[in-house]
Amino acid sequence: MATVREKGYYHWDGQLTEARFPWWPITRTGILLAFKKRGFRFLFAGAFLPSVVFLAIIYISEHLGDFKFWARGSEKFITITPGSFKIFFTNPGFLFLMIAMLVFAGAGLIADDLRHNSLQIYFSRPLKKTDYLLGKMAVVFFFILVVTLVPGLLVLVFKVIFDGSFKFFLDYPWLVLSIVGYSAMLAVFFAFYTLLLSALSKNSRYVMILVFMIYLFSDILSGILQGIFRTPYMSLFSIRANIEQMGAFIFAQKPPQAIPVVLSFLVLGGVCGLSALVLHRKIRSVEVIR
Amino acid sequence: MKPKASAGGPSFWTSFRRVFAFFFFLGGRTGRSRVFFLLGLIPVAIAVMVRIVLAGRTGDVVAVFNEILMVFFVTFDIVILSLFYGTSIVAEETEGRTLPYLITRPLSKTAIFLGKYAAYVTLMFIMVSTSLFLSFFIMNGHRFRDPALYLTFLRYAGALGLGILAYTAFFAFLGTFLKRAILVGLMFGFGWENIIQYFPGSTQKFSLVHYMKSLMPRRPSGGPLSMLLFRLEPTEPAVAVLTLVVIAAAFLALACWLFRTKEYLFEE
Amino acid sequence: MTAVIETKNLSKWYGNVLGLSDVSLEIESGITGLLGPNGAGKSTFMKLVTGQMKPNIGRVSVGGRDVWNNFHLFRRVGFCPEQDAFYEDVTGWEFLTGLLGLYGFPPQEITERAVRALDIVELSKDKDRKIRSYSRGMRQRVKFAQAVAHDPEIIILDEPLSGLDPLGKRRLIRLIRDFQSAGKTIIVSSHVLPEIEAMTSRVIMIHQGKILAQGDIHSIRDLIETYPHMISIRCSDARALAARFVPDKSILKMSFGPEGRSLVVETHQRDAFFSRLQTAVVEGGIEVEEISSPDDNLQAVFDYLVGK
Repeated sequence: MATVREKGYYHWDGQLTEARFPWWPITRTGILLAFKKRGFRFLFAGAFLPSVVFLAIIYISEHLGDFKFWARGSEKFITITPGSFKIFFTNPGFLFLMIAMLVFAGAGLIADDLRHNSLQIYFSRPLKKTDYLLGKMAVVFFFILVVTLVPGLLVLVFKVIFDGSFKFFLDYPWLVLSIVGYSAMLAVFFAFYTLLLSALSKNSRYVMILVFMIYLFSDILSGILQGIFRTPYMSLFSIRANIEQMGAFIFAQKPPQAIPVVLSFLVLGGVCGLSALVLHRKIRSVEVIR
Repeated sequence: MKPKASAGGPSFWTSFRRVFAFFFFLGGRTGRSRVFFLLGLIPVAIAVMVRIVLAGRTGDVVAVFNEILMVFFVTFDIVILSLFYGTSIVAEETEGRTLPYLITRPLSKTAIFLGKYAAYVTLMFIMVSTSLFLSFFIMNGHRFRDPALYLTFLRYAGALGLGILAYTAFFAFLGTFLKRAILVGLMFGFGWENIIQYFPGSTQKFSLVHYMKSLMPRRPSGGPLSMLLFRLEPTEPAVAVLTLVVIAAAFLALACWLFRTKEYLFEE
Repeated sequence: MTAVIETKNLSKWYGNVLGLSDVSLEIESGITGLLGPNGAGKSTFMKLVTGQMKPNIGRVSVGGRDVWNNFHLFRRVGFCPEQDAFYEDVTGWEFLTGLLGLYGFPPQEITERAVRALDIVELSKDKDRKIRSYSRGMRQRVKFAQAVAHDPEIIILDEPLSGLDPLGKRRLIRLIRDFQSAGKTIIVSSHVLPEIEAMTSRVIMIHQGKILAQGDIHSIRDLIETYPHMISIRCSDARALAARFVPDKSILKMSFGPEGRSLVVETHQRDAFFSRLQTAVVEGGIEVEEISSPDDNLQAVFDYLVGK
């Protein structure tokens, strides 16, 4: 059989192997595209601010003598416990920053592909639907874990360093697992949440609004219903409140709402399940338009 | 803006009306408008629930509407709708690459911009006022014979309408020159507008929501439900109306000028 | 003939990138082909002519009036953009009637014009389907329909044949020629040179933002003295014919086509060669099947001008 050769082309005699992580190029591209937006870089840097503040508090708590002049009477409040970690991780402002990051970096993940009919191009490669979704989710995982897991573990390490002993770590050996578990829970939930909304529209501006609006609206609705019905079960409508419940459970603290934590888990799990269903239906290489 | 009637060309108002009709039709039929309309009906569902749960406690029912549902309208619904539709005036055309269809028509760019603005403001007002009408009269059903009730409703509707005008004009202005107007708009609408309300004195006057709240029918502050008018140091209603109108007009003028002079290049 | 569209020293930059450089043209009525490769400046030129962009230097006028922010002109102009972009969730009919409404026609006239335009582009049966369900070719045709529905005097078409099948292209080309017969001024851009050749012999060649040549394609070719003309003769005995031309000093080069059935000659003196060819053929008793000029077409002319 004749082979076509031209200058610069050489026939490959080796074996073709499948890429081990076919989702990785999708993730890498998603992360790089996010960082290309100047505003996002500021926001991303700002997302570390709560961690810096927490670190400062830990430092002050270990050097109370140096800060006696303005810390008088507040010694009780800046004793670092797992509860402090829970407060840091479930702080509404911190969660809001994460939502802002997702608005920037996550809204267009699938919406832009739908707009530009890129799904056909993706699936004409040796790429499965799960690879595609995993690649997109990993973008969200990256951003959430970088601002939660990494600072969380670093703060713990610095606590031990400032303490000068392993006492804190030995007193709460499960704290590492709590930090990892909570960060993973946040990452998984926000990934499903963001991709669910991104898959609903080709218009990334509309998805940005949805990401923000649904998060905020769930809180407002919960507040309104709690005000009317005066029952803590209305907090189940709030994404933020459910995350706080889960956070309290993971950090072995008393949940802020007097409702079983399993209900919050079911609500968040339900959102993830709905997202999986929608993504399964929407992500197709061929779209039939009637 | 003076209407022009030159030979072979339409007057400004004629162009404005044509663009209004076109985008009122287009805007109303998108899935997004339906979603926003349904979102706006949530207060109606809450109103029905409240009437059932708090049956007989008319004072509490009215308080829920005045201080809770109005919080939803004023600080959330209006802002979200205005942000999306306001930034869409230009962003929709540039992202969708449909701008050539408009600017190669015998229509002035000012008429295009204002016609689209008017269409979207009208759509939003229909959405909001429908929800407001239903929730208000469900919750105040015991007072149908009181003429003051209808005046109160008109005040609420008027305040929300002026809020829509002002917010949409501001976000439309952002949309004419910012690529990521939505993000700046979110920071303004849910950051600045929320935070500034807690500052006493004239600092409050640097927010649009202050003037909307100044137009709301007031009740004595205090009690657990005084969320809406918390820390409000109101401006005189006439001044508040004028301020909102002037703000809307100023941002619209700036936006029209930018839209006329700027070239919008599509990303290749 | 008075120019319908005139540009004087027209230049446009995109930041540091030159889109169009010092273009001075007069375009008369009839079909004018604007051709050049991708990125040559064709769309930039069309956007300047349709007032979508403002020139950095120079001016562009339609009917003697500047285009930028002069929206009154657009009653007479129809533009078919290159982008495959439409308003969402509308049918072909709604798209067309909606845009016609912007001209201020009364409702009955809108309906008549829309029906006529859809008939012209053969989309009447599909008018009530959503545009997003249309094929590429159908979308291209509805774009063309919105450009002509209001019966403009000047029609500007940016890559109108893109996405059409060969039959569709032929139909649209025939349509464009019909518009020319009706006295309209049409500018058509394409980077596919045979498409332009099929529509018109009057071309503007553009490359890297500059005008290479303007006018009738054959006249342009004749003006290119640097390059010799190529003439291909398919005949019964190409070698015998070639032998007769060997002593001829005006012949620069001769080569034989596949299987020796044709002779390809390069010469600077085309007219003189043809008269000598007649003599050679008669004297040699050679049967000539076909005579053609492989380089007397747009691609060859373009390649010469660009220096390939």
